[in-house]
Amino acid sequence: MAQAIASGILTGGLYGIIAIGITLNWGMMRVINLAHFSFSFLAAYFTYQITVDTGIDPFLTLFVTIPLFFIFGVALQWFFETFEIEDFMSLLVTFGMFLIFESIMRERWTADFRTLSSTEVAYKTEALRVLGLSLTVTRLAVFLVAIAISLGIWIFLNRTYAGKALRAISQDRAIASAYGVNHRQMALLLGGIAGASAAIAGAFIAVIFVLRPDGATDLIGFIFAVVILGGLGNTAGAFMAGIFIGVVQNVTGFTSLGPGFAPLITFLVLIFGLLLRPEGLFTGIDTWLAKMLSGRQT
Amino acid sequence: MRNGTLAAFITRNVSIRWYVPVAFVVLGVLLYFFPNDTVKDALGYRGFLLSFLYFSFYWIALASSWNMLTGYAGYFSFGHGAFYGIGAFTAAILITRSGWPYLLTLPIAGLAASLFGLFVGFVVFRMRQLRGELFGLLTLAVSFVVASIAANSDAIDGGQGQNVRPSQLATPEFLGSFSEMMFRVGVVVALATIFASYLIYRSRLGRGLFAIQDDEMVAEGLGVPTFRYKMMAFGLSTFFAGVVGGMHVPQIGFVTVESVFGLNVPLLVILMSLLGGRRHWMGPVIGAFVINTLDTALQRSGGLDAFGLALSGTFINELVIGLLLIVMILFVPGGLYERLERRIIPAFVVGALVAALQGIFVGGRITQQFMVIELFVIALLLIPEKYYAPIGGRFELHLGEKHTRNIPVETT
Amino acid sequence: MKFSRRVLFFVLIVSIAVLGIVPVSAQDGECDEPITVGGSLSLTGFLAPTAIIHEITGRAYVDFLNENGGLLGCPVEWIVLDDESSPDLSASLYEQLITEDEVDLLMGPYGTGNITAAMNVAARHQMVFPQHTASLTYVYDYEWQFPSWFIGLNTHITTPRIIFDAVTSVEDPPETIAFVVNQFPGTQNLAFGNDVLEPGGAVLIAEEEYGMEVVVNVEFPTGTTDFGPIAQQIADADPDFLWVGAIGVDANNLLEALDALDYRPRGHFYLWPAPGPLLALGDLSDGAMSVTLFEPFEPFLSNHQADIMVERFTAAAEEAGIPFTVAETQAAASWSAWQVLTAGVEGAGSLDQEAIANWLLTHPVETVTGTLEFNPDENNYGEDLTKIKQIQDGQWVVVWPPEYATEGFEVVYPVR
Repeated sequence: MAQAIASGILTGGLYGIIAIGITLNWGMMRVINLAHFSFSFLAAYFTYQITVDTGIDPFLTLFVTIPLFFIFGVALQWFFETFEIEDFMSLLVTFGMFLIFESIMRERWTADFRTLSSTEVAYKTEALRVLGLSLTVTRLAVFLVAIAISLGIWIFLNRTYAGKALRAISQDRAIASAYGVNHRQMALLLGGIAGASAAIAGAFIAVIFVLRPDGATDLIGFIFAVVILGGLGNTAGAFMAGIFIGVVQNVTGFTSLGPGFAPLITFLVLIFGLLLRPEGLFTGIDTWLAKMLSGRQT
Repeated sequence: MRNGTLAAFITRNVSIRWYVPVAFVVLGVLLYFFPNDTVKDALGYRGFLLSFLYFSFYWIALASSWNMLTGYAGYFSFGHGAFYGIGAFTAAILITRSGWPYLLTLPIAGLAASLFGLFVGFVVFRMRQLRGELFGLLTLAVSFVVASIAANSDAIDGGQGQNVRPSQLATPEFLGSFSEMMFRVGVVVALATIFASYLIYRSRLGRGLFAIQDDEMVAEGLGVPTFRYKMMAFGLSTFFAGVVGGMHVPQIGFVTVESVFGLNVPLLVILMSLLGGRRHWMGPVIGAFVINTLDTALQRSGGLDAFGLALSGTFINELVIGLLLIVMILFVPGGLYERLERRIIPAFVVGALVAALQGIFVGGRITQQFMVIELFVIALLLIPEKYYAPIGGRFELHLGEKHTRNIPVETT
Repeated sequence: MKFSRRVLFFVLIVSIAVLGIVPVSAQDGECDEPITVGGSLSLTGFLAPTAIIHEITGRAYVDFLNENGGLLGCPVEWIVLDDESSPDLSASLYEQLITEDEVDLLMGPYGTGNITAAMNVAARHQMVFPQHTASLTYVYDYEWQFPSWFIGLNTHITTPRIIFDAVTSVEDPPETIAFVVNQFPGTQNLAFGNDVLEPGGAVLIAEEEYGMEVVVNVEFPTGTTDFGPIAQQIADADPDFLWVGAIGVDANNLLEALDALDYRPRGHFYLWPAPGPLLALGDLSDGAMSVTLFEPFEPFLSNHQADIMVERFTAAAEEAGIPFTVAETQAAASWSAWQVLTAGVEGAGSLDQEAIANWLLTHPVETVTGTLEFNPDENNYGEDLTKIKQIQDGQWVVVWPPEYATEGFEVVYPVR
């Protein structure tokens, strides 16, 4: 059971990374970006392809994919800004994009399962032993990176000028621009950050998961559960919720119920979460973090 | 309810013209005889046309049922698949385990779905925060939960599926062979759903729902019983979803969790209603017919092999549908019906012309002919108003008063 | 005056519909046109990796057939459509093939779900339905369906027996067993039986007939990618034998998850794994067992056309660039389904569906997987032809029953 919880915490890190991009866009820009899932999987396929073609370590591909998906993210955000796509409309427009990306991936990489085997990634099944627990190094890395990203973005949003400007925009666009905040620039920056986070998620997806063009569909439900439970726009909350969902899934899979019940339990949790606290279960982490990091919240 | 009170109820709450129900009945009777051998020989169509039209009816009914809540009240449900799936499994289990005749299972399928819908609605519609995207995600979560229960319960599916064989249906002789029978059942279910959707649209309930869509607080202030109206709309919407699910069981044959609870159903009905326009009862009908044609025709198109690209038919299919969705939302957010209403004469001329030209010069598959006609008409409808108005404005029909949905809400 | 507008609209719809209908001349039955065989395959979607084997085999067979005079002296054309791995779509494509393309003959799709759905369509139109890979034997009471995956009606009893006979044939047979089964109709039937026929299923048979103790019994949904929790349950229970009722690359994922826990099974069986990827795991998959109907060794190579199939399939697979080009069970099942169809048509001497069916019901057919005798009392299944293969020295070899074992090989248990 301890092992199941530990693995769940680590897997939850990946959910957290993917959810961060969604929650930023949704919470800050009121754009529900389904294309983020496509970006993550596209990045995973890029990682896969570059690794297979050149034989380099999959994580070195991040030097290519992060800038690339930063640009993709900016371009997408530019599109949203230009056509003033928000709220429900954004969900539908990005759903159209989601379908298109899926068909592109299927056309390019076929429906075959693609996976980086242990021959391409020597450390794929390596594990550390800690207190009798086996922690896969790739998942451990996911977890640490997830902490780094969510903390980094949290500090960026709360401690830097650009971040504060962004938050100001998300709270009241008119007043923010009256104070000279360039809304458009800030939005593009945010889109870029979300895109870059998709690239990082992609690298981990490529190493840990089996790639299918429609693999993103399986994740949508779980990631939205994470986003909602974490509270919109709350990256630290998303990280915590990611871990929570990861643990719920792994523990369900470990018990006699089996993994078949994992979606059932996860979504029941989400439904009750929505009914009892629609603003999110893990929003408290935000204030706690603020206190921890010297307490002078602005 | 006794007949007298029902009639009284309808006349009091619904304002419709006498010829509309008549038109529905006439259309129903005409379509009922469409599969007859004499008609078939006279028109010289292949059996596939029946199957294609059945699928059109199926999607039309499904999209119309979804639109009853979402189109009118603005509550976007992503969970329509759950109610459709409950209907399908209810019918399948009644047929395979209890030996019920197929047609008798349809109302039960509808009731089962509706009961569950009302339960969900009872919990959700009380929560003011659960509007907009959160309602959408909640319904999506509900459909995942239902699918998961079905997959894990041996009484429902348990991973084995329910196989409904043609011999188990026990349908009356006079409905004809399998495809004729499905066509006729499809006609009745689709027309009933459209008619219900039309009745809601023309009723006090419909006006209340549109008020909720525009501003729920204001609607409440004006005395619209919002909770009751949302429950009624959701109950009806899920009832018809369940009936359609049950209806489709013989066509699927092998009912599994993947085949009925997949994301395909909720996503396509949304697409169809948006394409056709969700603020009018005709919107989903048009949208469903168009998408079903595109889907069927592009499926068989064999792909494209030109300009150094080799693209599969499936790829083009998905690409076209994805692009269509984006273009529609960006440029014609009101849907095709709105434009079609104002450009009916040019649309008719273009459609007839393309149809005639194809008939003379091209031939080919019937679905592909339909698709080409529809694409030309859609292209005409997509022309922005400012370019269209100077030329096309002359052909506008000014026969009836425009019935927008800004009819004042009657207070009770 | 809204009336006129509605009427106009109605007229529009009707006239478009009528104008769109172009009468197409009916084709005549002579040999002016090729004989058409219609079917769907999952060219995209989750079944695609294996379905492509059936596409390659089918095309190779049709080429071979046409080079040798076709059917009834006519050339044969195979119309194969993409069902996107969806039974729903498969059913409607068969409807379209029968009622619009008006094909002369049918060939089944790939995969239990698709075949089950398509078979209902064939039954509605009374068409002969040869099929290669369906596994819900007890469901198929359509009298004109002809399976070539010949596993017997009671496969949920006979197949587990063959498997357990193999693993208990050794000196120190397993005493405990773990079951990991996905929620897919065929794998469920084999592990747990069904409520139509006599009770059976591997779990029951392991316990009652072979005296094994079931220490883990876990189910997982199709599409699972994280096997960590399941691997943990297996490692904790440490069974003597591991039964994985799964499809495709599930086997790979589970083995990698077990490896992450530094756990190696003592003996392991996979129901329908993707053969290539499992082999590619190298050391990890050593000793893995699976079922087979055909491997490119003697005595299988003496079966009817087996050498031709191996040669043609391997050549076509290499040309198509698929990773695993060995002609084995999947290719053989496909080829023999085509052999059944050919034998039926040639035997009946016509394209009349009833004549073809009656010929097949009364004559044995020689195929690459052996002699198939369709028994109408057992849903046209016959004897269970399942054999057991195992990965040894980095390749799949046949180990059971002994008379089919590849020369120089026998069941290896325990692996470690």
